[in-house]
Amino acid sequence: MATASTISETANSPGSPAASLLVTLTPLPPDALERALANLAIAFPEQPVQVATPDPLPANTQTAARVHAFTYTPAAPAPGGWVLTAADYLNAYKVMQDHAASGCLLLGPEAQSLQPEALAGLGSGVLAGKSDLTMPLYSLGPRDGLVNSAILYPTTRALFGTRPRYPLAIDMALSRRMAEKLATAAQRFTASGQSGALLWPVAEAAAAALSVNETQAGTRAIPAPDSVDLNTILAHVAGSLFSDIEAKASFWQRSRLAYSPKAAAAHTQAAQAEAAEEAAELPEIQPMLDSFRLAYSNLHEIWSLVLPPNSLLGLKKLSVTSPAEFRMPDGLWARIVYDFVLAYRLRTINRGHLMGALTPLYLAWVASHLRLASLAGPGSLSPEAHIEALAAAFEADKPYLVSRWRWPDRFNP
Amino acid sequence: MGQQVGAALAESMHRVTVKLVSFLPGLLALLVAVVVLTAIGALVAVILRRILASARFDERFGKTQNATVADLAPSHSPTLLISRVAFWACVVLGVIIGISAFDASYPGNTQISSILIPYLTHSIGAVIILLIGTVVARFLSRSILIGAVNLQMQYARFLSLGVKWLVLVLTAAMVLDHLEVGGSIVALAFGILFGGIVLTLSLAIGLGSRDLVSRSLEKNVEPPDRTGFDDIPPPTPRPTETLRHF
Repeated sequence: MATASTISETANSPGSPAASLLVTLTPLPPDALERALANLAIAFPEQPVQVATPDPLPANTQTAARVHAFTYTPAAPAPGGWVLTAADYLNAYKVMQDHAASGCLLLGPEAQSLQPEALAGLGSGVLAGKSDLTMPLYSLGPRDGLVNSAILYPTTRALFGTRPRYPLAIDMALSRRMAEKLATAAQRFTASGQSGALLWPVAEAAAAALSVNETQAGTRAIPAPDSVDLNTILAHVAGSLFSDIEAKASFWQRSRLAYSPKAAAAHTQAAQAEAAEEAAELPEIQPMLDSFRLAYSNLHEIWSLVLPPNSLLGLKKLSVTSPAEFRMPDGLWARIVYDFVLAYRLRTINRGHLMGALTPLYLAWVASHLRLASLAGPGSLSPEAHIEALAAAFEADKPYLVSRWRWPDRFNP
Repeated sequence: MGQQVGAALAESMHRVTVKLVSFLPGLLALLVAVVVLTAIGALVAVILRRILASARFDERFGKTQNATVADLAPSHSPTLLISRVAFWACVVLGVIIGISAFDASYPGNTQISSILIPYLTHSIGAVIILLIGTVVARFLSRSILIGAVNLQMQYARFLSLGVKWLVLVLTAAMVLDHLEVGGSIVALAFGILFGGIVLTLSLAIGLGSRDLVSRSLEKNVEPPDRTGFDDIPPPTPRPTETLRHF
């Protein structure tokens, strides 16, 4: 029986019914907020939902019977931006505690673009108690989320044995204990004034042996990063991941796989089967190749401090390869990423310099990936199949990272 | 005459021998002070290293500090940095004590320590300036090299070397000035050299980045009125602009 008022309130109401599901939103414009509330009402027609937003609610906002929206004061100042930060996780948990919610849907910027089906999929696992963390599987194009495809997904899958395709998702569903776990991790950052630090929920869940699930989320408007400088954002995101890997070294060194070898092969084949019949148009990759060749001639000395001779030889061969045949082997890229993770830990060079030296290598991988995606005919790989093969290469080379991590001075092929 | 020459030589030999004999105890005291304090410094360094290693100082320091102290420390170990600072502090103290002992044992009112000790402190300051300048030069040159490469500047290495030498020349001038060596000649030479390097870099950047500057200026200029140019299709966006890295 519907009992909630249709008029939304502008302040916390201790007397409001304790809903099982809490939805926390980041700051949204008024029209986007109304659309998000409407989508939530469609997604959860029978479930009472409390929606917490830091924005003041417009006076004429009308919501469905079971959607109760209110404004809350964040416990930690969230810097805002394109991705969820430590302050967002801490604020979400505090609101969960205040409203005794058993599950939380944490929605990032541009949340109004999420379809009701995606919202329902995210919330269902947590509400049913089947999953502590549900991550979305966005439908992105072959030219979107390239850093995630190149570094974030393969690394988290190989090291933490997790399957979510987007470990740095903008939206997620959390159980109470998962939210508590993330809030504890977030507090370490907010206490030292780093409210804008990134957290890695998938890695946290894996390390705490909590269940992780993934659900189709369809298309979504992906917010653009605040800075247009690739170097800055790559350094921020990849550096955060490398730091998290260093912190959880005792966990990921124990071998585990996200997929068994048979399942991994089947997963890759399924990705290949979903590919479009025609190959994608090859974008202009010459600037990326020029950047890589310029970097090779200028940064070779810096790379030699980080990469072993085998990897340097592979890069040397790439630097003289013609654009029509440019292909960075998956194993080479996996080892490069692992070597940079190790160098990050050992502080072989200044960390800012290290992440700056990674950018041209990443662009070389992007050029190789896009060229592969544009190939047609038998034997060609779809972009998604290539990503899955890359992730499998990361898993295959994990012993390399473990050996170098344990014996950095002795093991240097 | 021969006897007088011989007597003069014998007397001067005797005076030199006496001076040498009176000089040796002071020198020996200086050497003993330096050796003993060096040994004490080595012992202090070992003890400090063991205490800090058992307290896992490096790991705790790395967790709380994002900054470059760990990057600048030898072998990226703050423990090693602290132990080496303690060792060299003991060595310097030994040298100061040794000079004071040398002055005390030397007869007369020569006041060698009042001349040598200030110069010793200046020398230590000069060594510190040199070390800091070298580290800063290396850091800045690497930062500029990586930044310029990522901006796809063809003269990245040239720019990096130029900045490195700028900082090194500045450091050398500061060190020589601190040691009061050369006087105004050093200042003049530094000015000429520094100005020359800056002028060279300015010319290189100005001539080499004309395209970059003109492109950035064009971005700020309003697009021209296209009436009368309807037959010319607008430029299609480059495919690289549709890439989303995040």
